[in-house]
Amino acid sequence: MHIRKYDFNYSRRMFMEKTLKGVAAAGVLTPLWPLVAEGADISKAYPDELMSIEMYTKGKIKPGDILTADNVDIVKDLLDPISYMQVKEMGRRIEIVDTVTDMETLFPPKFLEATLRNKGKAKIGPDGNIYADNGGPWIGGLPFTDPKSGEETIANITLSWGRHDYCQYAIRQWDIAPDGSEAYQYDFVWAELQATGRLDGTVFQDKKDLLRYQSVWFTAPNDISGSSFLSIWKYDQREFPELYGYLPAFKRVRQFPTNQRFEPLVPGVTWFLSDAWAAGDPMLTWGNYKIVERKPMLGAVSDTFHGSKKNWEPGTHGGPKGKTFWDTKMSLVPEVIVLEAEPTGYPRSPVGKKRVWIDVRNQMFIAYNTFDRRGDVWKSFEAGWSRYKDGNVVVKDANGNPDWSWTYIHSHDVQSNRMSRIHQTESCAGGYKSLLTAGDTDVYNKYLTTTAIQRLGT
Amino acid sequence: MNQRNRIGAVAAFAASMAVSGGASADGIFDSLNVSGYLRYEAAYKLGGEENPYNQGGNLFNGVAVERSGGIPPSEAGLFNDVETRQIAETDNDFNMMYLRGRLDIGYKFGDNFNFVGSVRAIYDPVIYDEFNPTQADSQACCDYYQQPNYFDYAIEGGGKANPLEWTGRDYMVDLPALYLDYQNGPLLVRIGNQQIAWGQALFFRVLDVPNGLDLRRHSILDFASEEYSDKRVPALGVRIAYQLNENWELDTFAQKFQSTVYGNPNTSYNVIASQFTVRDFYDDYSDELNYGARIRGSIGDFGVQAIYSYRYNPDGVFRWTKSGVNRGLPGTLPNVIPGLTDNLGNLLQAVVDLLPGGGIPVTGSILAETAFEVDPTGVHSADEWFTYAAMARLDALEGLNASIEEFPQSRLLLAAPVESDEAARRELDLFFQLSGGMRGHIAREYFRERVFGLGTSYVVLGEPGSFLDQLIINLEATYVPNRKFTNTSLSRNYIDQDEWTSALVMEKYHRFTRAFPATYFVFQYMHKSQSDLFGRHLSGFGATPEESVSTTGGIDGGSNYLVFAFQQPFPSLVWRADFAALYDAEGGLLLQPAVRWKPNGKFTVEAFYNYIDTVSGNPNSNALSTAEWADEFSMRISYQF
Repeated sequence: MHIRKYDFNYSRRMFMEKTLKGVAAAGVLTPLWPLVAEGADISKAYPDELMSIEMYTKGKIKPGDILTADNVDIVKDLLDPISYMQVKEMGRRIEIVDTVTDMETLFPPKFLEATLRNKGKAKIGPDGNIYADNGGPWIGGLPFTDPKSGEETIANITLSWGRHDYCQYAIRQWDIAPDGSEAYQYDFVWAELQATGRLDGTVFQDKKDLLRYQSVWFTAPNDISGSSFLSIWKYDQREFPELYGYLPAFKRVRQFPTNQRFEPLVPGVTWFLSDAWAAGDPMLTWGNYKIVERKPMLGAVSDTFHGSKKNWEPGTHGGPKGKTFWDTKMSLVPEVIVLEAEPTGYPRSPVGKKRVWIDVRNQMFIAYNTFDRRGDVWKSFEAGWSRYKDGNVVVKDANGNPDWSWTYIHSHDVQSNRMSRIHQTESCAGGYKSLLTAGDTDVYNKYLTTTAIQRLGT
Repeated sequence: MNQRNRIGAVAAFAASMAVSGGASADGIFDSLNVSGYLRYEAAYKLGGEENPYNQGGNLFNGVAVERSGGIPPSEAGLFNDVETRQIAETDNDFNMMYLRGRLDIGYKFGDNFNFVGSVRAIYDPVIYDEFNPTQADSQACCDYYQQPNYFDYAIEGGGKANPLEWTGRDYMVDLPALYLDYQNGPLLVRIGNQQIAWGQALFFRVLDVPNGLDLRRHSILDFASEEYSDKRVPALGVRIAYQLNENWELDTFAQKFQSTVYGNPNTSYNVIASQFTVRDFYDDYSDELNYGARIRGSIGDFGVQAIYSYRYNPDGVFRWTKSGVNRGLPGTLPNVIPGLTDNLGNLLQAVVDLLPGGGIPVTGSILAETAFEVDPTGVHSADEWFTYAAMARLDALEGLNASIEEFPQSRLLLAAPVESDEAARRELDLFFQLSGGMRGHIAREYFRERVFGLGTSYVVLGEPGSFLDQLIINLEATYVPNRKFTNTSLSRNYIDQDEWTSALVMEKYHRFTRAFPATYFVFQYMHKSQSDLFGRHLSGFGATPEESVSTTGGIDGGSNYLVFAFQQPFPSLVWRADFAALYDAEGGLLLQPAVRWKPNGKFTVEAFYNYIDTVSGNPNSNALSTAEWADEFSMRISYQF
């Protein structure tokens, strides 16, 4: 416990000042990252009221409490407007847990190592892309631990979505209709293989001109099963990825246009390719990046892995039929960057602006709203993150440490009141399992070539 | 299998699918994926036309036609009468109605193996007003020229064309996929029953040469956005693909030759005039293999692919063949046909008296050696012959001559080659007067060919949001030296010509309004140098009911087709509007507006309308008029599990 050296509004003033001056360093009392580098307790970087929801709310909310319509007004300023509405009006409940003070809870271990190892080595080149100090592509970890601009902030997410050299997510998705029923259900696998920005210090197959290979293949239900897509991302963030698709109807791999990134992929779904990771498009195809605010926030950044539950799937609640929301846990995030950007490379995009709330501790988004061209809020793409440890069930990395990843997504289109409730699961239809490492598997040839998506299609 | 058993089998299939519904099971079945669907599909006739290639839709049923028989090769008409084809006209409300089920099974085992199996089962309740051979007093030879059969594929010798298909008059069960994948690094080996598709062009089959099409069900009139997913004929084989590097992929196959399957006579989408009897000699080729290789990659900003295939053309070619039907001219005396003149009777009597054995009955053994069979379901007049020859893109005049010249026994019946349409009419009318209807027998054979193909693609990068931005342009072409085509005379001397097929494909997504997701467009142009969309040689196009193609001349300069299609999803994709238009530069037009509604994960409703018409020129000059009668509204209701 710190001595109350600063009054309650100190941090608010500090955040305003940092935002206005464009001061980059995370932390209020002291810069955050030197503490991380020293392995010190990061709570030293913030006053108590930013590390304790109980103190922040003057005792009205404490860990273990459930946010409901009755008490959510107390923390209204800590939620994005859609999350607040969900609790206030739709019966959503959120369990409050302790604020995370251990940075290892917020990162895959190897990604944190690479971040510390490569700290300060990134710069934005004249072409707007991110380069390492040797002039080559980025070399892994967060390029900007203390981002000074919106571009640097979004680069932290864009350059490595899953924060592993290879991720394979077995995903199950339920699309909830306005009446609260589960109208659609999809199983699919999403795989990401970093070509550059890798944690192992290599460039995959010497592909310096590529950022990543990414594929998605649907395994259920029957009418969509076998549809598979391969997206090859250029390192140059001004360019669109190449997109190849296998559709069961066509029985062959065909090249598809890739600039339409604001379209529903399957019936009932609310998210677009553009929404993935709150940075689903090459970062330089968006513009007018602005850090508009720094503030505390509630975010699902820990304790959301349900490894002890069947297929890692938590319970649901809320909405007209009790099926709209995952059971989730949130904690007070002491400092977030509120980033706004506009789809300048997509003049016909229905999205006019996005606002992303990014946890400065790990530079990962905890809330993401899009707005339509009239400026009305349209969708929320809320993600949960967690160390993959739930009691005795632990998903370990190669060194035996608990690994880290996303766990759930609430993609809520508030204009149509449709919700896509998504979870990373242990396995999905087809027997595919979630993996955070390629291990000895030749994942490139297995999942990330045109031959592979031809095979994955049926 | 009787009706009850068939229904029981379909019900059992449906029940097994229902109980197996869902995704993965536990334990060793973690990697087992079972899913499928049940679907009702129907095509309701909006126009009053019946399929003219069927007996019940024959354009001459109930129509009084003046005939004037003459002695070949004279153009003089000597024997005049009026003939009315007596086959009862059918009157159908539906072109098609099926209950379809599909069960897909996938099972991964080990790191390298994956099994995929699919069962497709279709039951047709046969609610149609069918051709009734009894009413027609028909004794027509060969499978399926009596009671219509909707699914069996008859081949000479009685064998089974597809070893993984079980069919009956009103049902079929087959395995469109049954293969094992072995993947190791960049190598993929797929062994088993499989479909293979190549190329970027949709609907136009330029590089898509490995498999034939199964046109038994909804022919080419199915939901356009599904292309040939229900049509490609699967075949047993081995496919080996190898990812050479990130840019280049090699794909090869060796596959059992499976022919294109046409609708049976007197079934809804039959395209071969039912006055013909097709003798399909596929069995002589059923052990043959097709081979192919493709390499695909990129050079700079261009995608490129090259293919080679050494294959049997699955469409086959047709020629006159001996009927083998020993059925003489009707009656015991020559002048038995009401209305024939004494002169004709006396003339024929004089001819047949010269034959060994003498008398009318011997004409049966003679006819058995010709391409003809006497039956009331055959052609009844020269008018009908000329009309249907034009519709079939054949030469009415040279067709007659080939049927005589290549079957010398026909001369024993006074038949002789002629040099003009008029003389042909006289000769034809004479024989139709004598026979009361003659069917033509044609053989279907297959020939090997070598297909060389090239394709290239380019993605246009324009101003963001502009119409050209992210426009994908593909150009594909194949060259087939010495391709065999059905001779328009149905001669055994097939047309042997080199053929070029090329297509330009442009496709893109474009967002017109922020209120709706992007519209997907595709524009395609195809040119074929020698044949039409369906492989019929262009020298047979352009005839009329009055004049054979020998007189009118065929089409020069190749055939040209344009496709424009789009898909417009609605927000959330619960609704989707589709539209496809196919235009034949000779004046044919096919329009298919469609809508797809997916209110939830279980049910899908698709509805589409097929409009086909000749908007300019001679209907027999364009490829699409063959299906012009099919003015129909189709609906499919699917339940998946």
